[in-house]
Order: sequence, then structure tokens, then C-alpha cells
Amino acid sequence: MERRDFLKISAIAGATAALEGCGNPDHQLIRFVPEEDLLPGIATWKPSICTQCPAGCGMMVRVMQGEAEVIRKGQLGLLKMGLAKKLEGNPAHPISQGKLCPRGQAGLQVTYHPDRIKNPLVREGARGSGQFKEIGWDDAIKQLASQLSTLHTSNPPGGLAFVTGPLRGQRKTILDAFTTSFQGSYAVGAAFLDDSVARAANGASFGHAAPGTVDLANSNYVLSFGADFLGTWNSPVAQNVGFGHMRKGRPGMRGKFVQFEPRISQTGASADEFVAVQPGAEGVLALAIAHVVIAEKRKPLASAGHAGSLIDGWAQGLPDYAPEKVAAQTGVKAETIARIAREAASHDPAVAIIGDSATAQTNGYFNALAVNALNALLGSVGKPGGILFGAGLNAQASKSGPASLELFASQVSSGAAPVKVLLVYNANPIFSAPTAWGVRAALDKIPFIASFASFMDETALLADLILPDSSPLESWLDDVPPSGSAKFVMSVAPPAMAPLHDTRSAPDVLLDVAQRIGGDLAKALPWKTYDEAIQAAFAALYKEKGSKTAKDADEFWSRAKDQGGWWTDEPSATANGASGGRPIKASAAQFDGEASQYPFHFLPFASQLFYDGSLANLPWMQEAPDPLSTVMWGTWLEINPRTAQKLNIQRGDLVEVSSPHGKLQAPALIAPGVAPDVVAMPIGQGHESYTRYASGRGANPISILAPATVEGTGALAWAATRVKLSAVGRSAMILFGGSLTEASPELKHR
Amino acid sequence: MCRFRLSNYLRIAIAVGAVVLGLAILQRVLPAQSADTAAQGQSSDQFTPSHRTISGAIREFFYIRSKPVQPIAYTHKVHLGNGMQCTDCHVGVDQGPDARIPSVNFCMTCHQVIATDKPEIKKLAAYKARGEDIPWQRVYGFEPEAHVKFNHAPHIRAGVDCSVCHGDMRQQTVAERKVDHTMGFCIDCHKQKGASVDCVTCHY
Amino acid sequence: MAHQWGMVIDLDRCTGCEACVVACHAENNISTVGEDQARRSRAKHWIRVERYYEGEFPDVQVKFMPVLCQQCDAAPCEPVCPTFASYHTSEGLNGQIYNRCIGTRYCANACPYVVRYFNFFNPVWDKPLNLQLNPDVSVREVGVMEKCTFCVQRIKAGEIKAEAEKRELKDGEIQPACVQSCAPRAMVFGDLNDPESEVSRLANSGRATKLLAELGTRPKVTYLQRDAWHGHENA
Repeated sequence: MERRDFLKISAIAGATAALEGCGNPDHQLIRFVPEEDLLPGIATWKPSICTQCPAGCGMMVRVMQGEAEVIRKGQLGLLKMGLAKKLEGNPAHPISQGKLCPRGQAGLQVTYHPDRIKNPLVREGARGSGQFKEIGWDDAIKQLASQLSTLHTSNPPGGLAFVTGPLRGQRKTILDAFTTSFQGSYAVGAAFLDDSVARAANGASFGHAAPGTVDLANSNYVLSFGADFLGTWNSPVAQNVGFGHMRKGRPGMRGKFVQFEPRISQTGASADEFVAVQPGAEGVLALAIAHVVIAEKRKPLASAGHAGSLIDGWAQGLPDYAPEKVAAQTGVKAETIARIAREAASHDPAVAIIGDSATAQTNGYFNALAVNALNALLGSVGKPGGILFGAGLNAQASKSGPASLELFASQVSSGAAPVKVLLVYNANPIFSAPTAWGVRAALDKIPFIASFASFMDETALLADLILPDSSPLESWLDDVPPSGSAKFVMSVAPPAMAPLHDTRSAPDVLLDVAQRIGGDLAKALPWKTYDEAIQAAFAALYKEKGSKTAKDADEFWSRAKDQGGWWTDEPSATANGASGGRPIKASAAQFDGEASQYPFHFLPFASQLFYDGSLANLPWMQEAPDPLSTVMWGTWLEINPRTAQKLNIQRGDLVEVSSPHGKLQAPALIAPGVAPDVVAMPIGQGHESYTRYASGRGANPISILAPATVEGTGALAWAATRVKLSAVGRSAMILFGGSLTEASPELKHR
Repeated sequence: MCRFRLSNYLRIAIAVGAVVLGLAILQRVLPAQSADTAAQGQSSDQFTPSHRTISGAIREFFYIRSKPVQPIAYTHKVHLGNGMQCTDCHVGVDQGPDARIPSVNFCMTCHQVIATDKPEIKKLAAYKARGEDIPWQRVYGFEPEAHVKFNHAPHIRAGVDCSVCHGDMRQQTVAERKVDHTMGFCIDCHKQKGASVDCVTCHY
Repeated sequence: MAHQWGMVIDLDRCTGCEACVVACHAENNISTVGEDQARRSRAKHWIRVERYYEGEFPDVQVKFMPVLCQQCDAAPCEPVCPTFASYHTSEGLNGQIYNRCIGTRYCANACPYVVRYFNFFNPVWDKPLNLQLNPDVSVREVGVMEKCTFCVQRIKAGEIKAEAEKRELKDGEIQPACVQSCAPRAMVFGDLNDPESEVSRLANSGRATKLLAELGTRPKVTYLQRDAWHGHENA
């Protein structure tokens, strides 16, 4: 061939390529006029509040111009708008101190999730069928308002119930206004992980019904009884910051940390000493430590004050809790107990904390009181390096806690509580309640269910009307975090970006409905939009506290919005506020299921990535390897190596876990850190419905839990279930840590 | 004994043709991405080529760029001739990476009163009335596969005039690519001015 | 003097929380590969937290160690790349130039830290998850190798900002995403050429070690070994 021909062929090839056009506006989506004036490529940072767990960390959001596909007036087009690109901790915020945990980082995926509910929906088919029809907001709010108006004027009054997650700030104010105005209504807390036991115990021991802030940064010795304080307990980011400082932030000083639990948790991994303790014996162990401290006269027993007096036998020096007497019950050698007691007592400030499974036993309340007494004895309550109770942080602590979901479900099912309208907000009670509580059956009895859910989860599927909440980054946010800092903190954040879909902020909807209902409710909530409500709260705060820098309420509000809130040093409250209460004797933990039939303690644990399961819909959380197991996109059951050997269970075997109240299947993971008579399982998977990433994936340990309660509080004792195991097949887990999966790929776990 | 000898050009042509044919066959035989797996947010098990079509790949290889079709015949010559500066409209070019093309709101601040009878201005007003922004088509820019992170601001701050890279816009009516932004074009100037030619300066 | 970027990770502070892992994904446009591809070990965690169990229950200990590209000064991935896509930059980073990469994967093969990840497929973001993508970071297409860059986009942005403001960079001013999010402040990033920088100071600690130093890779990440408590019951 000649050169000429070659060039001809190339030209033809090139020409065909050139024919494929773009750069022609007629073939593209229309572009809407931008509503914001942004410079492309240049980021602005806006304050916000993380809502992925109840800690309330202050955030900064990196906002940059981007082009989003949106629908305006029924037409699809492109809109240049400010988009949240990255979340960081707010360096000025006393809780997060510039840091975030992985859940906080994943908050972006809530806003941009492909399966968000994009507009109001009304049920079309049978309840639970998932058939919904899109309706407009006017229609949706009218429906809700009309349902509530009917209730408001009905005789006898009553019939309204709210099932919510933990609400604080003006969201709580709105909820309270509704429940006050609607006589006989119920406000039910549906969070699986809540601090009700801690609040009750701290209220009894110290007069502060609040979780308390652990001042790790200044501590020298930390005794943690089951609390996953570096992972999911209380205020994890603040605690991580404090922990880092405790370890290596003070030249020449390095605090010691001892973790007491039946399974080495993610937090336990960072302990200097992990001490395996029998489930439920944490309180007895704490008192054994106290016994040594008192017996060896390292601290006067009277220094435990009222908290000590709540423990039967305290005044006598806790004779029943001598280490030798409790070694078998706790599973901890007497010498170990004595040594740790001596170390703690001679390394002030020492602090004891308790949480997670230790307070989720039937004797969890007693365990908490015991640890509180130990704390008081060590002299750390209200002191740097110990547990702090800021007077201001209590202001928002509810005087009466939310009603129990278990009680609510049984009363609705029996007809004792004739609920006609249920509003579900920030909660998924079908998932977060044991099957034994019969929540599904209770909901079936309620004629009208409205949900503010952003995702079609198990509970939203049962709704008759869905008014989808905007995502946190698209909403006005406020918060009064109950712990995490010695300062008083009230956070506020305007929306970081405009809503992507036709959603509305739930508080705005409730305010609208309140105005339509009128009467005392409208008077109690005299605001058109939620930011007005928050501004009113800040005006009240300014009046109460004043400000060094702002000369009037307007400037106070403006500064607060700019920096993400307002905070001030506060003298920490002393522990002398408590009185009353009879001394409590030790109670052994009760477990549901005969030990002979159900040989293993079942230990669900909060997942670092999914928390209580509400974050399982986020792909980053599904793909991030679990810190201890490295499992991705799946669920697993942790079994002790020797136990597995005895039962002839290998890694990857599909194990059926049966409690007296249900059964589930999960692949076995041989875990060196779990006690031989304990099997552990992360909470979070096992959603029947929760977006494409989580639906039908794994198993939900909550479902098989016994309906046991923590004596003295009514909270769910979620660590009190016993189970039996049987291998039923093979499965395949995905482990990021090194090796490939075990079983052959076709045996997928379902 | 074979006397058939291929010239070099013919060998190259056959090789290129074979590759193109092979790709074409693959493209038709294997779907680019299974809709199901994409719906689950998961990568497909199928072959996913870097370009969606053969012509796309050829165009990138030969650096063929289609001439942009602008919705409105905006002329730089007229505006610059009336005394405007580049930065009057391309705000932010000295602050960040992008030289922003302004929105229709920006244009209308003047054109709600200026030259309202001209047909192109009427088009402009029509966009605004419909609530639509003008769909300007990019004139300059790099292929995504070039992974170039060009940042305007340091260049402006270094005193590089707009016309060095974009040509003399005072002579241009509808904007055209007057300067070829090949890598050599950038490197030559970087070498001349003593700016870094480390790969990661621009490619990351 | 030119900057030489380095990092220190204090294993006595690290609590294994994985904020670094997720922050990195968010900052660097790392796509989620999904269950099927994750099963084939193709998940791309530029930084991962390794955990090691030691001992038998109840005397168990767990240790965490975040592992990311060590930006080795004698990187084994650089000489094996046929197109110089993996090369050493003037500021001490191991640069990965995506448009040079032709996907031979020799670099990943050579890397002893297993920190290089290959894009077997074009990345998928179910809309509108793609709106979260960082415009300052490339989206890597199929056939291209990727790995931790010490957030080179942040380094560039910091240097450009300092130049615009006609001043030197301050120590700690530039923080990769992982460092910024690390709550126990286990990770420190800075200029090893600056003897006053925190990273230089910590790299000289008595607890300093390097990962697989015996291989001669000269990594720029220094690990500070987990410490022990030196108190006594009768202190």
C-alpha cells in the first residue's frame, strides 16, 4: 500500500470518530438558573452538627459548586449549586475538637444516597406491601393536619403517640409541646442504644440524671467496665481526643487503662490490661476493687458519700466483696483484683466508667451503682480526670424519660393504649426491638401511621403517609449535647446546602401542622420555620447567660450561627446533690434460657460502622472493614477458638443461633478475644428493607433477644439472652484482613 | 517461496485495523455494564472499557475535538471592544482554579437595558424568562483521561496574560480554540519561566 | 530547601476507629467496589487498619496498625513501572501519574506493604452519590493503578496558598484527610526537612520504628511503638 492510501484510511477512521457529537446544547439536559452565587473550584466551609450518633459533634462542611440533576416544576435539569463535599470536625467545637469518627465522615452519603425518599408518599396497597403513590406537600401536610386535628378535638382526648430517637434542643421542645397539647399522648423512645440506665444510676448516686463527661485527658488511671468508650459509647470522638492526650499528650505521664469485659471490644484492644469478667459480674468486681481500697486504707470509705451508702454493706467496708469471695463469680483472680485496686488508688486521678453490656444485664442498674460508688471512693466525681457533670448540660435532660417501647407495644396490642395516630421520627422500632416485644403486631393495630423517614426502612414500609425529612446537611440543626465536654455547649447550624429533592425538614412540617391545629399548640409553638425556633432558644440563652463578646441578642445569634454554636466554661457540679434511696444488695444477673439448653451468653455489640444499625444503608460503612474482624458487606458470629474446636465449627461455617425467642443464621468467625462461653455478634445488619446496600443482608441479633429488663429502670437488658448453636452449612464472609474468603463463592450467605 | 511483501504502511494499517476490528467485536459482544449490578451499586463482572464507544477512543487518541455549538452568538470582540476586562465576567480566575463563565443573571444585569432589540439579546432574555441558564459549551479543557489539574490563579498571579493561552480574544467573535493546549505548550512555558515540570505539579 | 513530606503514626494513641479509612474515601474519590468485587479482594482502602491478635483468651491482646503508602525513598514500585507512572517527586512523594499508567500492575506486585490498588472496572457511583466527588482529585478510570498520595491535592493547595500570601508554610498547616480526622491525634504529617517540625521531632523518638525496614525501602512513615505502663501498684 502506498502512503497515500494509508493516510486516506486514517482520515476515514478519523471522520467516523468525529461524527459522534457532543458539545451541542440540543442534546443535553436544560440548565436551571443558579440560585446561589458561587465561584467554581473555591470551597467555603460551613458549620454543621453530626447526627450519626447521639454525641452531637460539631462539624465543618466543605461546600463547593457542583452540578446536580434536580427536578424543578416537574422538569428534570441541571442546577449549579453548593454541594457538601467533605466533613471535618469543627476545631472550635468543644465536643469534636476538630475531629470526627468514621460514622461522622460517612454523613455525606446520607444526603447523596440514591435510595432517599424524594417526595411525600401515601400508601396505595396493603400495609407493608411497599406500594406508595407520590403526592405533593400541600396534600401531605393537609392529611397529617386533618388526622391530628380530629384527635385534638376528640372526646375523650388521647390517641396520639410519637416514636422517636433521642431528641434534644428545639426538636424536643416541639415534641413536648405536642405531647402536652394532646392529652393522653405517648412519647416513646425507640433507640436501641440509650443511656437510660446510666442516667438513672447517676441520678441516684450523684443527683445528676445525665450520662456524665469522662475527663480522660487529665486522668491517670481508667477502669472501664464494658464501656466501648473509644468506639460507640457516650461521646466517642471527645473520648478519643482525651484518650490520646492521656496516653501521650503529657510529657512524662502516661495514664493506664484497664478494660473489664467478657469479650475484648474495639476499645479493649487499646487497653493496657484486658481483664475477662463473667457477664453480669461487673458490679461485684467494682465493689471487690473498692473493698481492697477501703481495707488497705488507701481511701476513706466515707469519701464515697451518698453513692457509697446506696451499696448494702458499704459502711462495714463491703465484707461480702473481698476478692477471694468473689473470684469465682467474677472470673477474676483475687491477686489481680487486689493489684488493680492498689494501682488505681495510688494513681490519682483515677476514674471508673461503665457501659454497654455491663449495664444491659438484668442487674445493670446495680452494676452502675457499684461503679458509681467506686468512682466516688476514688475521689474522681466532679474533679478533673474523673466524671464531670456540668450543671448546664442537665438543663435539657428530660425530667421524665421517654416511655418504654416494650410497654407501649404491649399496651397498644392489648388495647390498653388506644393509639389512633402514630408519628415516627428518627426511629426504626421494627428493627431495633426484639421480636418478642411484638412491635409489629402493635403497629398493625394503629389506624394511621405517619413517618418522617428519609429511607424506606422496615418501619417506614408500614406507614400510611411519609413526609420525608430533609437530610441533616440540608436542614437547620440545633443541639444541646448532654456530655462530651466540661463546657456548656449549645450548637446551631444553618443548612450547608439546599435540598436535592422535594423534601422538607420535619420540624418545619410539625410547626406548620401546629399552626393549622391552632389553639394552645400553636401558642406553644409560635414559629413559622424551625430557624425561628432555634433563634428563640438562643435569645433565651443570651438572656440567661449573657455573653462576653456579643452586645445584644442579634449579635449573639449571628456569632453562634457563624461558629456552629455557643459554649462557655462552666463550673462542674459537685456530687453532693443526691439523697434518698435504700441501699441495694448485689443481685446476680439473670439470663433468659436454661444454661443446660442454651449454653452460651449471647452478646450483641454496637458496630463501629453501623452503630445501632441506622448506618447500614451507607455503602462506605458496608465496605469499610470492621476494625476487629475486618468483615465487609456482611455479618458474623464470634466464637472462641477452643469452643469452636469442641463444637467442630470452622471459620465460615453457617451457624444457627437459637434463643428461646427466635433464631438466626450467621457465618462463624473464630475470635480469640471472646470468652469460651460467650458468642458475640455485631448489631447493624439483618435489615429486611433499608436501601439497596443493606436490604436482605446478614442477620439482626436484636430480633432474637429475650424481653428481659434491667431491674429498677425498665430498659432492655440486651445482654441477658442465652443461645445454643448448631452448624447448618457453609457460608462465605468477606474479610479485608489479608486472606480471601473461605468457602467457595457460590455458597453466598443469605 | 512467498514473494508477497507488505510495505511498512500496509503492516501498520493492518495492525491498527485488526485492533479496531477486535475492539468493535468486543464492544458488541460484551455489554458495557450490566444494569442489574449497576443498580446495586456494584461494579460489573463484564469488561468495562475506558471509553464508551470506539469513536470516543479514536477521538481521544487523535485529539479530535468537535467544534462547540454555542446557544447564543456571544462575541468577545464587541464586549472587550467596549472597554470590558476579562475579569469583569470571568470572576474568580485569580482566586481559584476555574475562570467562571457567568450565569444568565450576570449577563442580564446589563442586558435588561442594553441592546435589548438585538436578536441574540432576545434569546438571552428568553432563557432568563424560562428560568434557564445558558448552556454554554466548553471551548477549552482537557480530556478526563489526561488527569490535568489546571489551576488558573497561580498563573494569573504570575502575570501570565489571558491571551498567552487563549489567544487575542479582542479579535474573536464566537469563542474558538485558537491555542492548542498540548502538554508541550505548557511545558515549554514552564521551562522558560522556571516553573516546576515535576509530573505531579499538574497530574494528580 | 524543598519539602520532604513524612508522617508519624503513634501506635500508643491509635484506637483503631477507622475514621482515617473513611475520611480517605471521602476525600480521594475512592469508589466502593461492592460485595462481589470485595469478595475478590478488590476493595480499595488506600489506608487500612491492620489488627493483630496475640495470646489466648483470657490473656489476649489486640494491636492496631494503620497501613498506607509509605512513600518510600527507595520504593520498589518505581523501578518496575515501564512508563514511569510510578516515580519519585521532588518533594519525596511516590507519585502515581494516572495518565501514564497502562495497567501492567508490576508496581502492586513489587510493593511489600500491599498498598496499591488496581481499578479492574470503571468506578460506579449510584447517582447522586457522585455529587460528593472532590473536584480537586482525579477520578481514576479502568486500567489505572491508584494509592495513597499523602493527599497531594491538599499539599498543592497549601503550597499555592502560601505562595499567594507570600509566606512560608506553617508546620501542621497541611494535613492529609486521615491526619485531620484522627481523633486521638495518632497521626502527624509534616516536613521531614524541617528539624523543628513535629513530624521530625517525633520521628526521632525512642519508640520510632519503620515497617519492613529490613527490606531497604526507606519508608517515610515512622511508627511509634505502643508503650507500656510504667507505674506500680504502690507508686
